[in-house]
Amino acid sequence: MTDTEPGAGMNKNSSVAPIPSANGTATAVAEPVAVRIRDLNFFFGQGDLRKQVLYDINLDLPYGQIVIMTGPSGSGKTTLLTLIGALRTVREGSLSVLDQEIVGLGRSQLVDVRRNIGFIFQAHNLFDSLTASKNVEMAIELTEDWQEKRERAVEMLTQLGLSDRVDYKPKSLSGGQKQRVAIARALVNQPPLLLADEPTAALDKKSGRDVVTLMQKLAKEEGRTILMVTHDNRILDVADRIITMVDGRLETDENLAQFVSSHDPKSLDRRMFVM
Amino acid sequence: MRTPLAFLNLVHEKTRLGVAIAGVAFAVILVFMNLGFLGALSETAAAFYAQFNADLFLISPQALEITTATPFPIERIYQVAGVEGVEDVMPLYVNYIQWRNPETRENRAIFAFGINPDDPTFLLPELQSAQARNSLRRPNTVFFDRLSRPEYGPQETGTRTEADRRDVTIGGQYSLGGGFAADGTIIMSDQNFRRYFNPFPLDQISVGLIKLEEEVDADEARLAVMELLPEDVEVYTKEGIIARDRNYWINATSTGFIFGMGVAVALVVGVVIVYQILYTDISSHMKQYATLKAMGYRSGFLFYTVLQESVILAVLGFIPGFILSMILYQLTLTATSGTLPVVMTLTRFIFVFILTIFMCGISGLISVNKVIQADPAEVF
Ligand SMILES: Nc1ncnc2c1ncn2[C@@H]1O[C@H](COP(=O)(O)OP(=O)(O)O)[C@@H](O)[C@H]1O
Ligand SMILES: [Mg+2]
Repeated sequence: MTDTEPGAGMNKNSSVAPIPSANGTATAVAEPVAVRIRDLNFFFGQGDLRKQVLYDINLDLPYGQIVIMTGPSGSGKTTLLTLIGALRTVREGSLSVLDQEIVGLGRSQLVDVRRNIGFIFQAHNLFDSLTASKNVEMAIELTEDWQEKRERAVEMLTQLGLSDRVDYKPKSLSGGQKQRVAIARALVNQPPLLLADEPTAALDKKSGRDVVTLMQKLAKEEGRTILMVTHDNRILDVADRIITMVDGRLETDENLAQFVSSHDPKSLDRRMFVM
Repeated sequence: MRTPLAFLNLVHEKTRLGVAIAGVAFAVILVFMNLGFLGALSETAAAFYAQFNADLFLISPQALEITTATPFPIERIYQVAGVEGVEDVMPLYVNYIQWRNPETRENRAIFAFGINPDDPTFLLPELQSAQARNSLRRPNTVFFDRLSRPEYGPQETGTRTEADRRDVTIGGQYSLGGGFAADGTIIMSDQNFRRYFNPFPLDQISVGLIKLEEEVDADEARLAVMELLPEDVEVYTKEGIIARDRNYWINATSTGFIFGMGVAVALVVGVVIVYQILYTDISSHMKQYATLKAMGYRSGFLFYTVLQESVILAVLGFIPGFILSMILYQLTLTATSGTLPVVMTLTRFIFVFILTIFMCGISGLISVNKVIQADPAEVF
């Protein structure tokens, strides 16, 4: 690896004009991207316990791209995902999500931003008390579409191959099926941005593969942007782009071919740790 | 329609729901029983006076309630006798006397009324016949209250025993009940009263009863009588003296406090149980609630969901609580052969229902803190 400064020269879109360091103006001049991050630093804790976990992050995610983020445990991937997802407040740098600068937004405005983002977690986090359809309908209810929510939920579940499981509660579903319900819930409002944190970690090889293929298919059909954290190198092939995070910095930013050629597939995971 | 998340979450955990309903029902029953007893006791106070054939009552200001009535001059009722609209005035003498149970030979205080047998002092049907009046006139003869406690012994006409070491014979029975103050009552003539409480001057009376003519307004007549009489007696209408006695028994004694405590303890128990249930429920759904927040639900929605859960628990617990209370009321009525008139009233039903909602609402508000803390950033 060349010892380039993180952020510099990393953006695939070399056409992007130099970014002014002041916030606000950045989004105005650049072409629209789903996520634009500039000079982002993030700290946990306060005072003596203050600990920096993200250093000087610069990243653009264009619309329609499937991006996989990988890197050793504790490197800050989840933290970055929660920041992009408007789940934490950012204080340093600029973070624009779906053409809206979210640094400096209040709690309530952050909630509005979140409604346009689909979240998929490692755990499915479905309500045991609700059927698959009802779990998905909970998401549709955010849009106040009371008439067609059932239809839309069933349709979404059908697309994910769960047409015969619509009225099953999570207890009667397999791990892969539950995760697919969670994906249906995340996708049903057609969010332009999908954030997934190790969505296949709790699944066996085949269901993990199926789930990711479905995400890819739906994203490609609808032109969604996906940012997915994963350690699972069996699913890297769905990515348009792979970024690597190490110790709170973006280390590499490559397309799939580059990534494969620069990593020995047999020792992929270990190589990532020594980078 | 919005997915009834609160309801479905509660119903999903059958055991937890069962415990919650049992807890709320338990609290509801305790509240109903305490209020029932309190209501019954205050009913008793009223029932007691209902049997007096009078519209106005004269009583000494020192009296706490009827059994502690201190005597005042009989002239007071004679003064009133001439007032326009007054139909009749009657003296009433009261005191406790030791009644010996002829079977166990144990003495026990019983509450005695002394009346002029010629006066229609009581409305009790058993005292209205000429024969009954004649019995009353006989020396050392009393009428015995059927609603007296069984500890006083046999009640049959002709039973002979002792009252304050004087011979006494039961000449008949009536049904009055001693209310708060007495476990049993007897009625005797004023002449007998004077003998038993010797020396008891009959020109000092305990209560003055005034019967008004049909169309006379009691409140107005009361004012007129008060105008006339000196400070050594107070004048009450029937409602007034009932309220005065009731106030004494409920507020001045610890009766009201004790039953009030019963209600408070029941509510605290209810709050704790419902809180436990809600807290457990929220704790086991933290990830889901956090996910809802990540999806774009606001804290207000979760707040509302938890409060909804608490109201649902209130309603689901109130229903069996109410039904069981009705059964217990009936059992109490039967067991006390009607002397403790615990009956359900609409007011009490509504009051306890609101109290139950309030109780569960408090639990909801305490536990809602937890759900507000659900942090969507922590579920990734
Ligand atoms: N809530 C938190 N408070 C303090 N430190 C945290 C918190 N969450 C994560 N961290 C720390 O931040 C760093 C990055 O964590 P994370 O973003 O979860 O990494 P990854 O997802 O890449 O494994 C780790 O050192 C972790 O200990
Ligand atoms: Mg992580």
